[in-house]
Amino acid sequence: MSLSFIIYLVINTLVVLAIAPLFVSIIKKVKAWTQGRQGPSLFQTYFNLAKLVKKETIYSAHSSWIMRITPLVSIAAILVAALFVPLVFVPEPVGGIGNIILLLYLLALAKFFMALAGLDAGSSFGGMGSSREMSISAIIEPTTIIVFAALAFVFKTLNVFTMFSASVASGTTSTPTLILLAISLFIILIVETSRIPVDNPETHLELTMIHEGMILEQSGPNLALMELSSAVKLTLLMALLINLIVPFGLSTTLTLGALVLAIVLFALKGTILAGIIGLFESSMAKMRFFRLPSLFAMAFFFSTLIIIIEVFA
Amino acid sequence: MILAAFIVTALAALGLIAVSRTHRQMNSICIGEAAVFLGLEIWLLLSGQIPVLSLVLGNQYFFIDHLGLYEALIASIIFLLAAIYARGYVDNLLESRELGRGSLKLFYVAWAFLLALIVFAFFSDNLALFWIFTELTTVVSAILIAILYARDNIDAAIKYIFIASVSMLFSFVGLIFLFQISRSTFDPGTLNWTVLMQQAPAFPAGMMLAAFALLFIGFAAKSGIFPFHTWLPEAHVRAPSAVSALLSGVLLNVGIYGIIRIFALVHRTTAVSTVSILLLVFGLLTVGIAAISMLPQKKLKKLIAFSSIENMGLILVGLAIATPVAIFWTLFHVMAHSFTKAGLFFSAGILHRQYHSPLSADAVDDMHDVFRFQPVAAWGIILGGLAIIGMPLFPVFLSKLFILTQLFTVSLPALVLLLVLLFIAAASFGYYVISTFTQVSQPGPDAHDIVAYKTPAGMQWPIIILIVMIFILGTVFTSGETGFLNTIVAELMF
Amino acid sequence: MIDPALIQSVIRVLFAVVIITAAYIISTRNLSTLVSAYAFQSLTLVFMALALWSLEDAPILLAIAIITFISKVLIIPYFITTIQERIRIKRDIEFHFLSPTTSLLLSMGLILFIYIALSNILKDTAARESLFFFGAVIGLSLMLMGMMVTFSRKRAITKVLGYLSMENGVLLFGMFVTELPFIIEFLIVIDLIILVMLTTILSVGLDSTLEEYHDRLHRFHLVEDTEEGS
Repeated sequence: MSLSFIIYLVINTLVVLAIAPLFVSIIKKVKAWTQGRQGPSLFQTYFNLAKLVKKETIYSAHSSWIMRITPLVSIAAILVAALFVPLVFVPEPVGGIGNIILLLYLLALAKFFMALAGLDAGSSFGGMGSSREMSISAIIEPTTIIVFAALAFVFKTLNVFTMFSASVASGTTSTPTLILLAISLFIILIVETSRIPVDNPETHLELTMIHEGMILEQSGPNLALMELSSAVKLTLLMALLINLIVPFGLSTTLTLGALVLAIVLFALKGTILAGIIGLFESSMAKMRFFRLPSLFAMAFFFSTLIIIIEVFA
Repeated sequence: MILAAFIVTALAALGLIAVSRTHRQMNSICIGEAAVFLGLEIWLLLSGQIPVLSLVLGNQYFFIDHLGLYEALIASIIFLLAAIYARGYVDNLLESRELGRGSLKLFYVAWAFLLALIVFAFFSDNLALFWIFTELTTVVSAILIAILYARDNIDAAIKYIFIASVSMLFSFVGLIFLFQISRSTFDPGTLNWTVLMQQAPAFPAGMMLAAFALLFIGFAAKSGIFPFHTWLPEAHVRAPSAVSALLSGVLLNVGIYGIIRIFALVHRTTAVSTVSILLLVFGLLTVGIAAISMLPQKKLKKLIAFSSIENMGLILVGLAIATPVAIFWTLFHVMAHSFTKAGLFFSAGILHRQYHSPLSADAVDDMHDVFRFQPVAAWGIILGGLAIIGMPLFPVFLSKLFILTQLFTVSLPALVLLLVLLFIAAASFGYYVISTFTQVSQPGPDAHDIVAYKTPAGMQWPIIILIVMIFILGTVFTSGETGFLNTIVAELMF
Repeated sequence: MIDPALIQSVIRVLFAVVIITAAYIISTRNLSTLVSAYAFQSLTLVFMALALWSLEDAPILLAIAIITFISKVLIIPYFITTIQERIRIKRDIEFHFLSPTTSLLLSMGLILFIYIALSNILKDTAARESLFFFGAVIGLSLMLMGMMVTFSRKRAITKVLGYLSMENGVLLFGMFVTELPFIIEFLIVIDLIILVMLTTILSVGLDSTLEEYHDRLHRFHLVEDTEEGS
């Protein structure tokens, strides 16, 4: 493992941890604006996390060790997954790091423990949230696989690092496959991060809540870890989309100037994408559970189309 | 220019209808338009100067050959009789307020326009132009179906438009194929049928097959071939009977005409063997579906509509055989079917007026004492029915007989199958007529419920004329007629 | 002259846009966005015709772009929107046979089928260049996807949009395979406008309230009976 790779590990983790709460805030801000509200400050998510860390952790009397390890497993899995997606600097890939299938399974691991924790406390909301989350995961699974397969077909590799290097090298932003790919990835992003129209991340009050239902029993620093891991997950999926579709500025060499430029550009692109997500969420109504497959089908359709194009043309 | 005469007549008719006030005037104008068209066509026929070629916009978009003239003659005759018939019929529609007075003008404008469109479709040399005219006939005839403005009618019209138009788009893709074939063989490409016929032997079979299959979809939908026939029974039942006669007697011919033209092209290439099998299969399937659907039918107009489908299937079978004799009799069958079917629909219309069949499409006709109330219509149905199932002395007998004997030379199993199916169709017609027309109401308290509908002579004469015409067609064969049909076969290069 | 390679890549992007609008038309249930999607799709075709025109310099393509813009981007969407406001239907949530999801999955199969079929049929013609071949495939796919919309929707007004989308597919196919005479293209547009007007007006009749319909039905029989009696 080279030095530059170790530096990559540090930089990537720091950047993702630092920037993730910001993106969440931006989305909330944009949504507030479209509703004609002022909205929370851009640093509100940081404050929230800080506040939660200071608080005491309370476990339900019925809960088991699952409840206790879930936040740790979750943040660990997601942070490792975040290492698979270079945000600002793409080093040479080392070992299995960057493998897109492993990435999927790390995300699934976090999700699995979250669902278990939802069931663990024995509250009815948690159970409902978990069951819905698992149903959606089961339905979205083939779509996700196909989308990532399409990625692999387009870039002829399974490694995210290589994909990013290739997209930086080619510098193209407007090939038809990439447009289709962007839509598919966007849909995956929406589904995986439990946003409207799949789930409403804003509220604990709806009977239809999914993600919030599962973490209803979490408190204190544990809740902070859960919130942070979902923010990091959002950021890494956004980074995947951004660095594949609009890769310019992504640094491939380890110089300070390039790195700073890359961080600034990434923050900028991320802000725009977060704005788009916010607008998208504002323009949609939450879908009925049974209509969700039509959303997934769209991603499935485009990805299959990409594969067809790649295979035949 | 003979074409200019047609255009002027059509425009004059449309203009006059636009300014006329009463129903009588509009109807007379439609009769006049059909009569002038007929006159022009007969003059063309007698003057013997066909084929007429005409240059429009530097390209030969129109021409009149024997086949076009033949079809146009059939169309004009039926339009003339239907217009005469429509006067009384529409009067009654107005009286019973099934047709609003406000819709009257639209009805006759569509009527006059439809005749012009159909005739120009038959006179189009350019296949794309033919396609457009055919497509427009769909829209215009849908107006005639929907004019009654009951929900069922609109449903039927919309179904008709969508099935026909969607299928016609496939035809258009077929035309693009055909154009591409022609362009890649002889630059620059053309869609003029006369030129294509000259070039056809050089066309590659694979592309030709694809083009034919696509073109066939659209024209088959227009002529009610299985599996695109689903619009036909509904539209024919819901339409006013004068319009049903046009739909069945004329409009179905437009689709068949398209198939004949394209098949003539394919016949000059090596793709003909595959295409013949295709036509034969679809023809048999169509006859089969129609015959089976006719069996349980309790509604007169629906029965007649399914009989149209059956006859279109038979025509396809005739085409599939593709020998000159078969083509000759297929063409004859087109004419025989049109006249017979128009007569049947006219008669059914009178019965419809008499008994006011329930509006719902699935309801059963409630007819009794037919001979007492409507003797002409009853005999029209009986004689027309005998004619359409192919009894001797009527023309359908001849065409069926010769198509069947020709089919024997191609395939014996197909012949047996077709015979059985035709027998089923004939039996269901007979069963319906016998079971319905023998119903006599018992003298009792409610016997005076029904009052005889005083059928105007204008509605009865077209039926009598048609019956006499088909009787003459079935018994007398002039050399002129044979020669004319033989010329068509020769022009189609079979 | 603009660099042909650039134009080709623009056309490729437009292909993707056409496919996206087609998928959107299949799956959306909101009528007003359906019309906008159609107008947008037509606009894409206009751009495509313009791009092809600058590539091939055939005046017919410019003419196609102009009439497409006038008829399909302006007139027809405007007309349908007007009618829609009159019948006050905002959503189309009823489907025959196929749900949008199934249609989407089916259309994938169709695209593949068309690709294979076309590459067999067009094996030995001039239209084998990759770009034009793709245009033909996407045109036909768009047509079949439109057909699925026409046959799976229950409302007449959405059926019309399916038909229009089909017609766009035919136009696309025609644009990339061959050049038909202008008069033909023009007449087709006229035909299209008449058809759209008729079907949308008819759909107003279809979507009129049920009482009105029963009233009419009732009147037919009553009126007939009394008049015959007198």
